Amino acid sequence: MAERRDQSLERQDFAWLVLMSLIFFGLVAIGLWREYATAWRPWQREFKLVLAHAGRFQDARKFQPGIRQIWNPELGVVDRCVSCHLGYEWGGILPAALRQPLTPHPNLSFMNRHPFDRFGCTPCHAGQGWATNAHAAHYGGGGWEEPMLSRRLAAGCGVSEAELLQMRCNFCHRRDRSTQGMDAINLAKTLIKKKKCLICHSVEGQGGHSAPDLTYEGDKDPEQFDFSHIAGARTVFNWHVEHFIAAGKVSPKTAMPDYDMPPDQARALALLMLSWRHINYPPQYIPQPQSAPQTAATPAASSNH
Amino acid sequence: MAGGIQRLWRKLAWPWSPASDREASEAIVRNLWLHWFPAKVSGRSLSWSYSLWLGTAAASLFVILTVTGVMLMFFYVPSTERAYGSIKDLEYAVSFGRLLRNQHRWAAEGMVALAFMHMARVFFTGAYRGSRALNWLVGVALLLGTLMLSFTGYLLPWDQLAYWAITVGTNIASQAPLVGPTARYILLGGHFVGQQTLLRFYVLHVFFLPAVVWILVAYHMWRVRKDGGLAAIEPLRALRRAEPREMPRTKSYSLFGLTPGTSVAVASSMGLEESDQVASSPNLTRRMMLVFLTVFNLTLLLSLFINAPLEGPANPSVTPNPAKAPWYFVWLQELVSWTTVHLGSITISGGLLGGILVPGILLAALILWPFLDRSTDAEGVWFAPERKRQNAVFVVITAVIIILIVVGAWLRGPYWHLYWPWSPRPVLPRVL
Ligand code: HEC
Ligand code: HEC
Ligand code: HEC
Ligand code: HEC
Ligand code: HEM
Repeated sequence: MAERRDQSLERQDFAWLVLMSLIFFGLVAIGLWREYATAWRPWQREFKLVLAHAGRFQDARKFQPGIRQIWNPELGVVDRCVSCHLGYEWGGILPAALRQPLTPHPNLSFMNRHPFDRFGCTPCHAGQGWATNAHAAHYGGGGWEEPMLSRRLAAGCGVSEAELLQMRCNFCHRRDRSTQGMDAINLAKTLIKKKKCLICHSVEGQGGHSAPDLTYEGDKDPEQFDFSHIAGARTVFNWHVEHFIAAGKVSPKTAMPDYDMPPDQARALALLMLSWRHINYPPQYIPQPQSAPQTAATPAASSNH
Repeated sequence: MAGGIQRLWRKLAWPWSPASDREASEAIVRNLWLHWFPAKVSGRSLSWSYSLWLGTAAASLFVILTVTGVMLMFFYVPSTERAYGSIKDLEYAVSFGRLLRNQHRWAAEGMVALAFMHMARVFFTGAYRGSRALNWLVGVALLLGTLMLSFTGYLLPWDQLAYWAITVGTNIASQAPLVGPTARYILLGGHFVGQQTLLRFYVLHVFFLPAVVWILVAYHMWRVRKDGGLAAIEPLRALRRAEPREMPRTKSYSLFGLTPGTSVAVASSMGLEESDQVASSPNLTRRMMLVFLTVFNLTLLLSLFINAPLEGPANPSVTPNPAKAPWYFVWLQELVSWTTVHLGSITISGGLLGGILVPGILLAALILWPFLDRSTDAEGVWFAPERKRQNAVFVVITAVIIILIVVGAWLRGPYWHLYWPWSPRPVLPRVL
């Protein structure tokens, strides 16, 4: 008997249906595996061992694997760094020689003024707090504008990591005259006074008007700078460094003097320029300015915003 | 051996095989989900080579989009403060969130492509004539609906890519004479892309447009039935008409009773022999399942290995270099940039020509084509010789659009200059 037409159709499609179903199950299995094999899981497993090794059996037993985060909507902080950087609060108990990312946070004298549970990590370190894998957290990638201020980035700018971080300290500490732990920025703030920059420039409404306003100099888009006379790296940081050393070379015919200053001073000033950004932190995160006499560079507390 | 597996498979997954035509028909008619299928379909319209099943593939994507979209709605917050963060949460913290987002994204881009390819198939098979002209118009509306769904969805992540793509896209729209600026104002809820825009696009994207497209899809399917099935049967019908006529006596007739005219029940089998047809269940349903599964697997595969783009948070004061419209509109942006002429200090914007006239003319041509087509009997077959000239026109226009898309999406680098994919692009200055 001749085959019914739909039997031939079934024969055609049967194998494909089986194949597609198998592929489907295979893909679902891959999806499940991906969900389980996260970047932070091995670190958490290791951290549990580290705790037990240090004699903290209770804590080791209580330790549950999972994404951890510091969340503070006031600062817009969602920092999942602590899913991997697990030892940050264990200074004094866990050895400082642990390898990253389990190492306790460097015990800096000012850290207790910035408790982790309020400040998180990214206000000082930058990077992408949301991310739960190291590359995305540290470098961002895909157009993320604020990569973590790593040792490598610092080396590229000729400063130390601690100095580079001061740029962000100054987001909040802008109105301090000088702050402990912020030597580079402190130096830059004295240079602003010594070199009388505010004869020409204005900052937060104070100073002269014959040169660009610098209040939010750090927000200026890299593409708005003219790099045609820059010898070194095409970064805004380097633009400022070369500009402070020889303004006339970088901006021909500028009224700004060639300061010919030592590179470390130029770098400190460049950090200061980059730190002058529009910051939306609520007032309780902006330290009260010291009662010391106001200077032009650290103007009135009344304009606190 | 193969037979053994097949029997096992039947037991496991396909226990039902109709014993009679009547049982097969009732499986369709009595099922809420299937009753809009005809009880019987012609073998030709089931073939892979006629329709390529592109419409079904597009519909499968739309189902996937609806399901993944509803799931995304449980996480997404349409506010300028929270939108970007909720997408980041999906990517990094929500279980399967990244997969969900990727699948929604790739299915959406796929649906734009498939709706277009399906339209091309319909065009090349000349399947839009006679009563099918109406369904062609419904199809044009579906294509526009798909584009608008994609466009409104593009803004929702509220990243730089989204923000500037919508800014560029709506700037093109504002070039329309008289109504342009007003249209843009209404669409954006203001003069620039902001919270109002996000809310408007959100409502359009998750409610209004999907509802419209779903209704149109349902009507589209209904029309396919009303028109007697796919145009693939037309050559066969003509053949049967030429033969000595004998009223076909299929069982489905007795099921519904004979009605005069092209009623839903009769139209599908009208003029065909019983031997030209097969029962829709399980033949059509099985093949639809296969198409759906294949499409689903493809989106899953893409989603597992390629991430949907997401850039830094939207920043109105920093324009990315270059700022591009979404790929399916980038050919318009490309046209605008070509037709913008600089004469000394005067700039004649190409916005009107590239942004309004060309797409307007193309759309009008799409709408009017079935009524301008004079070919006589080249329906339901690929590349009918009689339609050579029309097909050539379609191919040329499509090729130009595709070339413009490729140039705009891949070859345009910083400052909208052209670069080969392998040639180095200027490194833009960075902060650090
Ligand atoms: C997926 C795990 C993971 C996450 C999430 C993560 N890190 Fe790390 N981090 C590492 C590892 C591993 C190292 C050491 C190896 C290296 O330098 O890449 C490290 C190193 C570091 C260092 C020292 C690197 C250097 O040489 O400058 C800093 C600082 C740091 N992380 C900060 C952060 C911050 C801030 C975040 C959140 C935005 C973060 N990390 C998120 C895994 C992680
Ligand atoms: C108040 C600002 C501040 C906060 C908040 C902060 N850090 Fe730090 N962090 C610093 C400073 C300053 C250093 C010292 C850098 C140096 O001396 O090289 C440092 C050093 C580090 C290092 C060592 C870097 C290296 O190169 O070895 C890691 C890792 C690190 N921090 C991680 C974190 C993580 C994770 C968090 C959040 C839980 C965090 N930090 C929160 C200021 C901060
Ligand atoms: C998000 C804002 C913020 C950032 C970023 C920040 N600080 Fe602070 N800092 C504060 C606030 C607020 C206080 C005041 C806390 C208090 O009153 O107890 C403070 C206090 C201090 C103090 C004590 C000052 C005093 O007069 O007692 C020092 C020192 C200090 N910060 C150094 C730093 C350094 C160094 C960094 C960068 C590594 C930094 N801060 C980054 C907000 C910030
Ligand atoms: C005699 C007036 C004068 C003095 C003093 C002066 N500048 Fe300038 N500065 C200018 C002028 C004019 C420009 C604009 C042209 C240019 O780019 O050099 C400028 C540009 C700048 C810029 C780049 C602004 C931009 O966004 O393009 C910075 C940063 C800057 N000055 C910082 C300083 C600092 C810091 C000092 C003190 C150490 C200083 N200036 C002293 C006149 C001055
Ligand atoms: C949202 C997008 C669309 C969906 C989901 C869709 C779905 C379908 C499906 C499932 C079919 C059955 C045949 C097949 O699978 O090819 C079909 C047929 C048809 N579609 Fe679409 N379609 C869409 C867009 C369009 C567009 C853009 C056009 C043309 C402008 C169009 C015109 C037609 C016509 C004329 C038929 C009948 C074809 C024939 O008889 O051979 N459709 N559509």
